[in-house]
Amino acid sequence: MRAWLALCLLLIGCVAQAAPPQRIAVIDWGIAETLLGLGVTPIAVAQTEGYRRWVGTPALPEDVVDLGLRIEPNLELLSQLKPDLILITPQFAASRAQLERIAPVQSLAIYSREAEGYVGAQQVTRELAALLEREAEGEALIERIDARLLQVRQRLSQYPLPAFYIATFLDARHVRLFGKQSLYQGVLDRVGLRNAWQGPTNYWGFTQAGIERLAEQPQAALIYLEPLPPGTAQGLADSALWQRLPMVREQRVYGLPPVWSFNGLLAAERFAGLLEQRLSKEYGHD
Amino acid sequence: MTESVARLPLGPRQGFNASPFWLCALLLLGVAALVINDLTLRLPGTPWLQALWQPDEGDIRQLVVHYSWLPRLCMAALCGATLALAGTVMQQVLRNPLASPTTLGVASGAQLALVVATLWAPGLLLIGREWVAMAGGGAAALLVFSLAWKRGLAPLTLILAGLVVSLYLSALNTSLMLIQQQDMNAVFIWGSGSLSQNSWNGVDFLLPRLGLGLLLLLPLLRPLGLLELDDNGAKSLGVPLQFLRFSSLTLAVFLSACVVSVVGVIGFIGLAAPALVRLLGARTLRARLIWAPTLGALLLCVTDLSIQYLAGSLAELIPTGAATALLGAPLLLWLLPRLQLSGGQPRGESAAAPLRYPRPTLRLLQLGAVLLASLLLALAIGKGLEGWQWQLSDLQLLDWRLPRVTAAAAAGLMLAIAGTLIQRLTGNPMASPEVLGISAGAALGLIAVLFLLPYSGLPAQLALGGLGALLTLLLLLGMSRRSGFAAERVLLIGIAISAFFDALQVIILAGGDPRGQNLLSWLSGSTYFVTAQTAFGVLLCAALLLLAALPCARWLELLPLGDSSAKALGVHLGKSRFYLLLLAALLTAGATLVVGPLSFIGLLAPHLARLLGLTRALPQLLGAALLGATVMVLADWLGRNLLFPIQLPAGLLASLVGGAYFMLCLRKR
Repeated sequence: MRAWLALCLLLIGCVAQAAPPQRIAVIDWGIAETLLGLGVTPIAVAQTEGYRRWVGTPALPEDVVDLGLRIEPNLELLSQLKPDLILITPQFAASRAQLERIAPVQSLAIYSREAEGYVGAQQVTRELAALLEREAEGEALIERIDARLLQVRQRLSQYPLPAFYIATFLDARHVRLFGKQSLYQGVLDRVGLRNAWQGPTNYWGFTQAGIERLAEQPQAALIYLEPLPPGTAQGLADSALWQRLPMVREQRVYGLPPVWSFNGLLAAERFAGLLEQRLSKEYGHD
Repeated sequence: MTESVARLPLGPRQGFNASPFWLCALLLLGVAALVINDLTLRLPGTPWLQALWQPDEGDIRQLVVHYSWLPRLCMAALCGATLALAGTVMQQVLRNPLASPTTLGVASGAQLALVVATLWAPGLLLIGREWVAMAGGGAAALLVFSLAWKRGLAPLTLILAGLVVSLYLSALNTSLMLIQQQDMNAVFIWGSGSLSQNSWNGVDFLLPRLGLGLLLLLPLLRPLGLLELDDNGAKSLGVPLQFLRFSSLTLAVFLSACVVSVVGVIGFIGLAAPALVRLLGARTLRARLIWAPTLGALLLCVTDLSIQYLAGSLAELIPTGAATALLGAPLLLWLLPRLQLSGGQPRGESAAAPLRYPRPTLRLLQLGAVLLASLLLALAIGKGLEGWQWQLSDLQLLDWRLPRVTAAAAAGLMLAIAGTLIQRLTGNPMASPEVLGISAGAALGLIAVLFLLPYSGLPAQLALGGLGALLTLLLLLGMSRRSGFAAERVLLIGIAISAFFDALQVIILAGGDPRGQNLLSWLSGSTYFVTAQTAFGVLLCAALLLLAALPCARWLELLPLGDSSAKALGVHLGKSRFYLLLLAALLTAGATLVVGPLSFIGLLAPHLARLLGLTRALPQLLGAALLGATVMVLADWLGRNLLFPIQLPAGLLASLVGGAYFMLCLRKR
């Protein structure tokens, strides 16, 4: 009971404080990435190893504490760390009630039904900047990335480009195709590329399909994000249909280094940069 | 082919209207209609035969038909036939209409092998996924055989071993998937059975293996037919039982491993096709061996073509294997009242009763002391920022731990009692609360919450989960009232409901929706979301239901003796069964809402109590309750600390720890 009272006092103290929160714990990788982009280092992030492996940049400092799985961040550990703000996304709302016993919780949604992924990412950057009283840094980040995408657009508009499927391989028979609502769609729209996949997508902006669906737009090219799951390259080499797809025969298949598909503005910037680099190499010399 | 059915001496005479012929003809018409419709859409204005056999290399539509559409159709037929064949052989050998290629742990073994290879030895996948899967499936089946070997591979023991190994391996699978979800998307797809093809390699792989299997089956046909008799009858006719069972089961495992390794888990066909064929009048083994593969092939083709027809309008990829199970469950429910099953005890030897411990009260006191010690351990010791810590005075930590430990203990206790009730009620050591399907019903409710009201909290989850459990319970009671709650029927209905739920879960996981991970965590029995109020509520619930179960001891003593003996001793069968069933359902629902539908405890605790010499009903009930609570508390503690800061769900740990011990016991017997 004493502890409970102390906790309440602590909470009231936090709210009453005028200064922006200093000790921030983050449950979602996209939010962690945006936070780092604003120049703030969280004290703890869930699944730090996964962040380093799948998101990579901006780099997470070594002393950031690992909170365990994102679906079940370790409550005992978190309460020992005494954060003054916990950032989650609606995806992890199930643990919100538990987290609120430790510190104020703020939920930020990059993905929602109302806005497309890129706009959602901008919105989250603004909300986060406001929370941390770093509005200037937030606007600067948004402007920088908008400008960067415009720059990519101008560069790519010089080349005759086909429509592109944006995909990640699940195995040699299945791909995830990114379309409406995805962050990639937002980037494609802004750099002036056409998405070959116009079909329905889920909440996160992708659909899963057999690779025969890639034949539906014979003129299109394919951009896939590495890494290829183990055995996939071998499987594709043995696949009769894959070898006969126009995009494969005519060598319009481009692999890009890993980008975490469900992240925010910085992931969008990285993706646009990789697109620019690769496509101007492929189409620039003609 | 129908003539051969009629001519065989053992088969009852069947008219055309009772043979599987008409169903197969109907399905064949369906396949033809779907094929014509599909090809018209895919190849407008092109000669079909040319596209099918010699496609124009310049026309991508023809190429897709030749390298994707046609091999997929062939693959569906091949897989359906192979699985149905394997299922028929297994049902014959195990004398159990519920046996299927997944019963021996082949599917979960293969899946685990793939998961392990993906994570730690991706080089192996370069040699070939199918070989990795086959090795895993074969190893799992060998484990099952070795567990049942000492009992001469008796049907009941074998199925029990298969079930335990399956549960154990899927628990391992689930924990790996929880920790490393990003790498596992391919395994999810594979686990749900996608027939999608893009070359003829799959067909080339499967066809010769099916041929080989059929060839090897021929010399086994006659002795297998004699297995219709009981063990002594077959032995007196000179059938080498052990060798026959081992070789024919090995063959069936080989066939299912081939399918599983190429397209993944398509479980239901292997169960449904042989059962349907038997029901439609193919009584002899030979007739079933002809009709079941035919029906299996057609069933899978129709399902797969319909899915392709529908998939165009759906965003998510629907894996065929999961869809067959989704369609299959209602079919099984429809079949049940029509399926002729021998009531009472399954044939074959019943499990040998362990020695009774002379002083049950002392044993119960010992178990109580163990429970107290584990409660203390779970509350006081844990990892924190500075490593291991002994802290009983830190109220804040206790605030976190007490609800979890309480809920774990209460849930374990409820599952254990439910398990004891169901096992005594059905006289079947395979039975557990999970089999009743109540936990699956509750889980369906939670899935609805996750996807329809995605941002709602615990109260909505509890409410809808409870509603799901209640509806399942009503369905169960309604459907089994007509048969007077005959033990096997109740189990079958429960299995059908669980199958439906499994399919749905698999589709959701394979859809790649990141929310699936929330579901996975809850499904594996986590106490993470338990609040103080919930914990208190569950504890109260457990105490009340325990009190309600105690007066049933006499029924529980008499019911396992068989229907007639129990009746002669003055037990009202319908009434007592209804009451026990209701009690077990409530216990299961209460536990499921807290720790998810995984209920190895319900299977394990009653067995452990018996092994400790608590053989009579009341001591077994109490002993199981104490054991269930102890195991769950320890599992929760281990889960919180083993991979700190990552927390593994208690239900998962319980099945990992409990399952290993259970397998040891099974082997020693």
